[in-house]
Amino acid sequence: MASGRRYAHTGRPSPSSLRINRPTHISMTTRFKSRFAAAALAAAAFISAPLTAQDTIKVGVLHSLSGTMAISETSLRDVLLFAFDEINAAGGVMGKKIEPVVVDGASDWPLFAEQAKKLLEQDKVAVVFGCWTSVSRKSVLPVFEQNNGLLFYPVQYEGEELSKNIFYTAEAVNQQATPGVDYLLGELGKKKFYLLGSDYVYPRTTNLVLKEYLTSKGIPAANIREVYTPFGHTDYQRIVAEIKQFAASGDAAVVSTLNGDTNVPFFRELANAGIDSADCPVISFSVSEDEFRGLPTKDLIGHLGAWSYFMSVDTPANTAFKNKFFAWLAKSTVPGIEKTGRVTNSPMVLSYGGVYLWKAAVEKAGSVEVDKVRAALIGASFDGPGGKLTVQANHHVTKNVYIGETLPNGQFKILKSYEQVYGEPFLKGTFK
Amino acid sequence: METKGIFSVRQWTCFGAILLVLGVVLPLLNALFPPEHALHVSNFALNLYGKYATLAILALGIDLLWGFTGMLSLGQALFFALGGYAMGMHLLLMIGELGQYRSALPDFMVFLGYEALPTHWRPFYSFWFALAMVMVVPGLLAAVFGYFAFRSRLTGVYFAILTQALTYAAALMFFRNDFGFGGNNGFTDFKTVLGHDIHAAETRRGLYLASILTLAGVFLLFRWLVATKAGQILRAVRDGENRVRFSGYDTARYKLFVFVIAAMVSGLGGALYVAQVGIINPREMTPDKSLEAVVWVAVGGRGTLLGPIIGAVGVNALKSWATGAVPELWLFIMGGLFIFVVLFLPGGIVSLPARIRAWWLHLRPPARPDPTPAQPPGQP
Amino acid sequence: MQNGDGRCPVPVLSFCDVSFHFCIQFLVTSLLAAMPALAADSALVRTLLAPPAEQAALIRGLLEAEDDRIRPTLEAWRTGEVFIHTGADGTRIPFLLDGEADASGARSAVAVADGAPLTGPDGRPLVLLSSSLTAIETNAVIRRAIRDISEVIGLSDPAPDVRKTAAERLGMTQRADYEPILELRLGREQNAGVRRALEDGLALIRLSHGSIEAKIEAIRVLEGSNHLGVVDQLKTLVAEGEKEGVTPEVIRAAQRTIISTERHFFWVNFFGTAFRGVSLGSVLLVTALGLAITYGLMGVINMAHGEIMVVGAYATFVTQNLFAGWFGADGALYDWYFVAALPVAFLSAGLVGLALERGVIRWLYRRPLESLLATWGVSLALQQGFRTIFGPANVQINSPAFLQGNVTWFDIAFTYNRIFVIGFAVVVVVGTWLLLTRTRFGLYIRAVTQNRAMASCMGVQAERVNMLTFAFGSGLAGLAGACLSQLGNVGPGLGQSHIVDCFMVVVAGGVGNIAGTVIAALGIGSIDQMLQPFLGAVMGKILVLVFIILFLQWKPGGLFPTRNRSLD
Repeated sequence: MASGRRYAHTGRPSPSSLRINRPTHISMTTRFKSRFAAAALAAAAFISAPLTAQDTIKVGVLHSLSGTMAISETSLRDVLLFAFDEINAAGGVMGKKIEPVVVDGASDWPLFAEQAKKLLEQDKVAVVFGCWTSVSRKSVLPVFEQNNGLLFYPVQYEGEELSKNIFYTAEAVNQQATPGVDYLLGELGKKKFYLLGSDYVYPRTTNLVLKEYLTSKGIPAANIREVYTPFGHTDYQRIVAEIKQFAASGDAAVVSTLNGDTNVPFFRELANAGIDSADCPVISFSVSEDEFRGLPTKDLIGHLGAWSYFMSVDTPANTAFKNKFFAWLAKSTVPGIEKTGRVTNSPMVLSYGGVYLWKAAVEKAGSVEVDKVRAALIGASFDGPGGKLTVQANHHVTKNVYIGETLPNGQFKILKSYEQVYGEPFLKGTFK
Repeated sequence: METKGIFSVRQWTCFGAILLVLGVVLPLLNALFPPEHALHVSNFALNLYGKYATLAILALGIDLLWGFTGMLSLGQALFFALGGYAMGMHLLLMIGELGQYRSALPDFMVFLGYEALPTHWRPFYSFWFALAMVMVVPGLLAAVFGYFAFRSRLTGVYFAILTQALTYAAALMFFRNDFGFGGNNGFTDFKTVLGHDIHAAETRRGLYLASILTLAGVFLLFRWLVATKAGQILRAVRDGENRVRFSGYDTARYKLFVFVIAAMVSGLGGALYVAQVGIINPREMTPDKSLEAVVWVAVGGRGTLLGPIIGAVGVNALKSWATGAVPELWLFIMGGLFIFVVLFLPGGIVSLPARIRAWWLHLRPPARPDPTPAQPPGQP
Repeated sequence: MQNGDGRCPVPVLSFCDVSFHFCIQFLVTSLLAAMPALAADSALVRTLLAPPAEQAALIRGLLEAEDDRIRPTLEAWRTGEVFIHTGADGTRIPFLLDGEADASGARSAVAVADGAPLTGPDGRPLVLLSSSLTAIETNAVIRRAIRDISEVIGLSDPAPDVRKTAAERLGMTQRADYEPILELRLGREQNAGVRRALEDGLALIRLSHGSIEAKIEAIRVLEGSNHLGVVDQLKTLVAEGEKEGVTPEVIRAAQRTIISTERHFFWVNFFGTAFRGVSLGSVLLVTALGLAITYGLMGVINMAHGEIMVVGAYATFVTQNLFAGWFGADGALYDWYFVAALPVAFLSAGLVGLALERGVIRWLYRRPLESLLATWGVSLALQQGFRTIFGPANVQINSPAFLQGNVTWFDIAFTYNRIFVIGFAVVVVVGTWLLLTRTRFGLYIRAVTQNRAMASCMGVQAERVNMLTFAFGSGLAGLAGACLSQLGNVGPGLGQSHIVDCFMVVVAGGVGNIAGTVIAALGIGSIDQMLQPFLGAVMGKILVLVFIILFLQWKPGGLFPTRNRSLD
């Protein structure tokens, strides 16, 4: 009895107590069990409380606002909220205001599925804009197919997927990687390729396609090297030494699919080892203006990027978009929103474009019903900040692709643009 | 000491009543009432409770090791995920030709250019083989790792750090595409389980029920286990391993036994988890997932069997709520909760009533005369 | 993009006229005395103001105007430090920022043309902030032209080292248009080392572009000079086998060159790996040393160790920004921010450690497993705290100039930041060792960690010593964070990517002694680097972890286990 009590008090029995005293313990805990059951029921009622609204359209935003991916995804939430406010200020969609339901995926993939279920089954949102990583998309895909939801996915990805419930405003491999390599082959006359990536599906898949593509362009296998590093790798000494030797002949380029944080140690090491962009340019597919905010840009001058939008795109549409977005940011009351040093980048603009494509389709269909919107989306188009976006029958989007080089101020200078590139998700085997 | 059954009649009644509510009433409310009805339990909620139940199974395994035996294992998430992978392999094969490529092979294999299914995948067409592997694989890994660890008397913090390293290494391994388990995307987009559509409301109810029953079963098993002589030795190991060893017990053997049991149970939890959340990937086996599960146990109250269940359900419900309502505060809440529990409430939530009672008694001694006669002042 | 023989044409300027042009230029520049400064400047200014498409050609034309100012100005242009000022009358004047930075970091504007300060509409000299200006743009073609031109100019530099480097780099470009320039220079060069570099450079160019005879001659010259850049070409030559002009003798010579080059690079890689191993080991050592104190000596499992490092890294970031505010981001004093950041990082991390010890850890000295859990809670809260204060993104930290770049020796690039970390590790370890063994405080630390009760009896204030020891260990973690800020990213998640490695080092080294930590760190670093070439970075890392796990099964106490007779 005594030892049981003491245990409950301190969580630690005294070292000498080897006696066990069950009865008190159990009577105490069973009482708790019943309370627990009551609490569970209460929670059930809380979670399943019905929510209805008549003159608004509920729209889900599903991004990681905490955890490791928050670094990139928070910007997408911001631009989405901006787009909703902009549309609402202009009269809404079919006269109804958009009511955003923002949830946090917390960089936790099963939680993404749970949150997607919540959005579709509880909040009954008309459409969801969300996901950054492929694995989060894969995690929610069955949920959207089961509930016949609608997801707009805005971030460059590896392809090899086509769901009737997802619209991929993202860059497919042939809207980013192959044009990038074309530039290296054509304009820069490169003949050796060092494919460097983080060890996960997107880099592996992209490199698989690129190897086939390069081979089809007559690059011998001996001139292609494929290297992977783990997530969060911090030591790029050996890889940079290898690149230095690989590039000794002067006609080599690095094609980088390193993700997020690992770019910093890589570019630092590269710059310190004296490899400069004039000898051996690096083209990165995961580094956008947003990532530059945390990179020592001096180390990246002249290295290349390929996206379907750059902040430096010089069109009236882009200038207007930037001005309105920054003005919105300055006034925004969203808790914790970053107001200074903000930039725009391709995933943000594709998120933004997705909202307008959806709006166009809803207005054409005259309904937010998913089946009608889906049909109306095919062929829908929107003149966005990065140029015209047109939804294809395969749920991908035709868009412009730009090749740019990094300037000291963390912007890209556009070197070449490919107009209206058709998005092709299934590329493996097409270049053989 | 002789064990006399695990519960008294009254306890059996309580246990039965709770099981009735969770296992019969909730599913019935879900099945019988239309969604608009006030008493309806939504599919979403039931699915969520099912997920919590599987996490509670994981927490029970951790508690058996940490609360009862004094071994903090940060490898439980690995065992949980391995169980999940074993079940995921079966579910993935069950997709059949409904995948992206309309091939009998799983999508990622088609893409990586596999010609045929690797040999070690073939038996997973059988559900029962997969179910066995759900426990055998984690159990085997635990047996091998535990055998060496306990033989060389790794204890305490060393054990925690090494299990953490093991988990980390395994996660890196599974992240690789080459390893043949789908890389960081893992397995997802399952279609059927035992021939039923995995998304259908009935199947979800069935999976929920299976989770609740498994949880109840594990609870009973552990209840029985800690009441046996072996269970007492485990607690003795926690409180002073060397003394037990000097008393002539081979403590390593007991620890190995309980480590393997906990791993197998975690694997079972993982299998049920994967069937319900629909995805398994290497992120589930990172060390911080283990630590998170340890938080549940600590919050609920370790060294009890009810504590981990309360902790797992409570903290996860809090997480589901907080990541929706106050995402930027979630880590503060979780971190703060942990510090608070460790510093101020080492017995966890289950120790609260006793604490409150003690505090209450302390506050109002005059109301009830103290049975022990107070020393008259001034007397030596 | 492919022509008949399978080789892409190098995008060269038309060979004949350009090289001839260069010859003339070179003669002019070498033989004549310096041209009048005004002419040089106006050519330079014309180039700077020209449309981008014409700039590359104009840059190459600048050789006619030999002047000391061309090279620094072009270099400034390349790095984005030349700006345009539009005068009141609409004239565009290129200028640089020069002189001491004032309080806001602004510096005075100096015209490129004559070095005179620019004046504003009010007649006062202009003082501008570089961040508020738009630099004249460059692109890959312009930068390439600038670099080549600075090297061509470098060929006639008075210092032999500069001439040698210029000759090597021009040779490495393997561009035919530099052949006559190198030939001309070779005819005038006296220094043997530079001559050798010129000959090699010529051979490199001829191997790509020369006739068969020239190629054969080039192979002979290059034998033994170990240029990796030619191996590909030689291999192609060997693979094509005998043909007209390529005798078996030539092929043998080529093979000899290939073998000797590959052998040379075997050793380069061998010593390179050794250096990289030591360097990685030093990083591990610096990051784990704080943990070796708090965990090894005090027995506190501090899962927030990684986040305390991050405190140090952010302290460096804040110091950098303060310096940028005080002295300007271009000021001479700015680079010294890092020196000032070290004590700041040490103190701020130490203070956080102190607060952590007072607030949480002191209640848990007898419960190590629970200190693990509580500090993990602290680590989560700190991570979110960093996100709240500094934003979720990585912050930008610019290395000071003295930590950028490398010294290449024996074809291995020894980067300055790596050398710094190695030196820093030595200093910190020696310092810690001295503190522990040669000072009264160190004596107290050892006394309290060995037997707290006994130390208290002898009058040592055990609680205070514990507090300071923990703060000291945390301060070391802060120093590690400052170091890491020079190697990689600084963000809220930085600590998490190092914490497992730190624990591995301390555990493998054996708890409670610094020598073990040192050897474990260097050993793990070297093994990691040795495995990488064969297994890749991912498998290498996994194997290192497995190796440590197995090692600890064999020696549960680590390399140097603490001897202890007590048993609980």
